[in-house]
Amino acid sequence: MGVGAGSVRRAAHRRQREGAMLAAAARGFCGVWAAPGGARLSSRLPQTVLFRGSHWQTSLLAFRASLPVRAQPKKKKKVDPRREQAQKDRMKKKIKKLEKAAPEMIPIEDFVAPLKYSDSNRVRSLPPLSFEETERRVLLMKKWCLFKQKQDKAEKKAIQTLVEAQQEALKELRLESEELYQAAIRRDEGLLPFERDGPNYTPPIPGYDPPEGKCVDITKVYTQ
Amino acid sequence: MAAPRQRAAGWGRWVCTAAAPRPWRLFGAMCLLRLPRITQPLEKEEEEMAALMGQIELEKSHYSDHEIRKQEEEERLRRRKESTYDDDEAPGKTVIMAQDLEDKWEQKLLRFEAAPRITDADKNNDRTSLNRRLDSNLMLLVKQKIGNQELWLLPQVEWQPGETMRSTAERAMATFLGDHIQAKILGNAPYGIYKYKFPRAIRTEDNVGAKVFFFKAFLQSSDLSQAELKEDYLWVTKDELGDYLKSEYLKKVSQFLLDL
Repeated sequence: MGVGAGSVRRAAHRRQREGAMLAAAARGFCGVWAAPGGARLSSRLPQTVLFRGSHWQTSLLAFRASLPVRAQPKKKKKVDPRREQAQKDRMKKKIKKLEKAAPEMIPIEDFVAPLKYSDSNRVRSLPPLSFEETERRVLLMKKWCLFKQKQDKAEKKAIQTLVEAQQEALKELRLESEELYQAAIRRDEGLLPFERDGPNYTPPIPGYDPPEGKCVDITKVYTQ
Repeated sequence: MAAPRQRAAGWGRWVCTAAAPRPWRLFGAMCLLRLPRITQPLEKEEEEMAALMGQIELEKSHYSDHEIRKQEEEERLRRRKESTYDDDEAPGKTVIMAQDLEDKWEQKLLRFEAAPRITDADKNNDRTSLNRRLDSNLMLLVKQKIGNQELWLLPQVEWQPGETMRSTAERAMATFLGDHIQAKILGNAPYGIYKYKFPRAIRTEDNVGAKVFFFKAFLQSSDLSQAELKEDYLWVTKDELGDYLKSEYLKKVSQFLLDL
């Protein structure tokens, strides 16, 4: 009984006006059952009004009929907006703190190896390379180095000839007329960006009917 | 066209004239290139290197899901053959093995037929078609009448006063291929020049010779069915140019053509 009353009192502080009224009604009910000692609760009906919680309680079942016009509701009006304002400020502070923190880095999926590939059963088991094989590889690398060097030199030489031919043409054009030359050395805005579909291994099949289907892009897009 | 050119009196040969017309006639020519559609065949070193790279990649790699599945299934098959214990799985269940999948994919690949790399035009050596030599650059040659000779040249027309050299080259292209040609001209500047003097018979004071400025363009549209080609034309690669062009002209033209 004491515990019940204490909890009801705490509840009255926390809750709103309706809640306080409920608490008062509960107090009234507690009072009714407490009289016989709390043994047989279900059979007793509140026919006789034995106990009233307060002089404001006119009937047992009804809540407070008359509304006491006191300072309490006015107090709540002041506290509530202040409390709400305090809550809003706290939220704003939290938001500002989060915003001030550095943005999280977007993970590069290609550089992160998924964990399932680091199992030991995944490691390939191959026989070790023979001496001849390693020798062959080293010699092939050297041949490749030479091949690429020759290719690069040939490319650079071709570009050099290209540039020289153009310079000669522009020189002759200048000798002819200055305004044609100026028109020629003007930048061509429509040239870049230059796009081209690269060459494939086989030419396209004429009249090819590609299979029906929709391509759904499921790449993860991260926003900062 | 002629801007006043002042030369120092010490340079004896040049006459100080205010607005004398230059004795060179100007022509603009267009070198129209059809870019390659397929890759060039690999050289021997490139092929060997590609094989080696594939081998090294295989050695450094780990097993994939498919390979692990295949290994497990082979293991299971082997155990089933060797020992005679009851099957763990219900015999009624049909399981698709990884090996079956591989066979199915192999069959599908063999059934696919790609277009041939060496086309019919290659086999017939039909040099007027655009479908030949898909792995190299093709350029347009037309037969033009210069003086009293019929020569194979890159399409050229004479320059008219009031237009830039690039528009002269565009006009040359339009004259021989029609207006509906889609080509990307690479810049405003000429790529090369061929200068020649007229034979002494027709050479005059005002008409010493001609300068032909070459421009380069990439052909964008793949079919030229709409083009009305009036004269004789050819699509040739750089090494076949020697069959048609004169030596001096060829020398100047091959300077600005990359080896492809």
